[in-house]
Amino acid sequence: MEPFELICPAGNPAALRAAVDAGADAVYLGFRDETNARNFPGLNFSREDVAEAVAYAHARKVQVFVAINTYPQAGNLAPWQRAVDDAARLKADAVILADVGLLDYAARRHPDLRLHLSVQASAANVEAIRLYRDAFGVRRVVLPRVLTVPDIARLNAEIDIETEVFVFGGLCPMAEGRCSLSSYATGLSPNKQGVCSPASHVRYEPRGGDLASRLGGFTINIFGEGEQAGYPTLCKGRFVSHDTPAYLFEEPTSLNAMELLPELKAAGVRALKIEGRQRGKAYIATVVAAYRRALDAFAKGQAVPKLDLDAMVEGGTQTTGAYKRAWR
Amino acid sequence: MRDPGMQTDEPTDDDRARAVEVNLTRAGLRLARQLGDGLGGLLFDRLFRILADRHPRAFAALVELPDARLLIDPVDAPAALLLRVGPQLALRVSERDAQADATVRGPCGRLLDLLEGRIDGDALFFRRELTIEGDTALILALRNTLDGEEMDLFADVATAAGPLRHALPVARRNAGRVLRLLDTAHRLAPPPLRWGLAALERRVAGPRREA
Repeated sequence: MEPFELICPAGNPAALRAAVDAGADAVYLGFRDETNARNFPGLNFSREDVAEAVAYAHARKVQVFVAINTYPQAGNLAPWQRAVDDAARLKADAVILADVGLLDYAARRHPDLRLHLSVQASAANVEAIRLYRDAFGVRRVVLPRVLTVPDIARLNAEIDIETEVFVFGGLCPMAEGRCSLSSYATGLSPNKQGVCSPASHVRYEPRGGDLASRLGGFTINIFGEGEQAGYPTLCKGRFVSHDTPAYLFEEPTSLNAMELLPELKAAGVRALKIEGRQRGKAYIATVVAAYRRALDAFAKGQAVPKLDLDAMVEGGTQTTGAYKRAWR
Repeated sequence: MRDPGMQTDEPTDDDRARAVEVNLTRAGLRLARQLGDGLGGLLFDRLFRILADRHPRAFAALVELPDARLLIDPVDAPAALLLRVGPQLALRVSERDAQADATVRGPCGRLLDLLEGRIDGDALFFRRELTIEGDTALILALRNTLDGEEMDLFADVATAAGPLRHALPVARRNAGRVLRLLDTAHRLAPPPLRWGLAALERRVAGPRREA
């Protein structure tokens, strides 16, 4: 049985070293600009950083994937094409792309460069995935976090490229690459500028013991005294409807699918992805080490150890997300 | 950083050494406040030069930020710090109510952990151990810049300690072990000896947390 590949995030060079040292099989990262979906202040890699990161990872037999997974803006293709060219030049093992125009550019210009389809493409059915494979030679698809495990199994039975699924971290409950909630509130797009809930538009206001989080001038949540907080995203906002404040889309929570390793293996999944390029290196070292231990135990047919990752999760709660969602 | 699944309530040697460092930091802040902006400012400038030599990439990034002031408030320490980022990068001791573009508040130990990347800032925020106000982008830029470094405040400072630079990391490494031995001896000792050990422990660990 081929073991799962463990794909880990890095938002800076120290985080990359932490991921490699903790047992990643591959690390994904982005350049320091709007070409990736985690374009946050102070985060990401310069070209020189990527060169050093690739050298560090390759020396330890770990792969580096470069996420270029936002959508190029009309009339301004150059930053995205340059990112693909530089990823190839710097010997990245794969690029993670979402836009069809950029996939076409990469396939033509760099035929030897391995292409992965980003979750941002939201390819969730057989026909869409086959099209990406046939048209651009995509070798792996990162599945959106809206599919159940049986959905993934059915999909894998009908396609002949690898699938990668998220197993831990921030949980985007929307059709990724198509969500405009943050854009409506801030005027900046996760899909074009790479910023969901951009920090420039986020404010936190202590109100006595409560904490209000505001996005683009809208109050999107008020956490009571002692209540665990979450990211300031609208999909996890708490709004008053019929005089009752409630989470309309999703509660502040993090994905953790460690208990589903047997089911994901049976469903034909090739690689498991940890979310969190925006997180600190302490998160990365802790979560990657936990998953490494779990995957090693699973590969040997041993019981997966129960590892405490409560301290790392949003809202203090964990979920298996859509993978086990009964109402679907 | 502890191995997940192996956490216990018993403090580790690392926790004990960290407690000593927290007390040293508090004592440093108290001293800086007493010295005022003149001599205290010179000390902070010297600290910044040491750290900039060790972490040039991070300091270059801080200088490139737009001019802004960030109040760093260790709530269990005698004073706060005002960090000015941008071309006039500087650090000064400050009152807690100083005007700033952004504020980060949390226990002194947690802020040290954050500075050195021993703990994840988002996790601290989720648990409400860290409070932030004002310009969130500024706080995020600072956090991400520092997290990209492998910073160890006391080891970095030790590099500038002249002949003591080799002794300080050893002393630090052993501080936790010494305090653990004192803990054990304290539990096992008869009462008169226990009181003596408690006094000795206080001297090693430094002044206790202030109200």
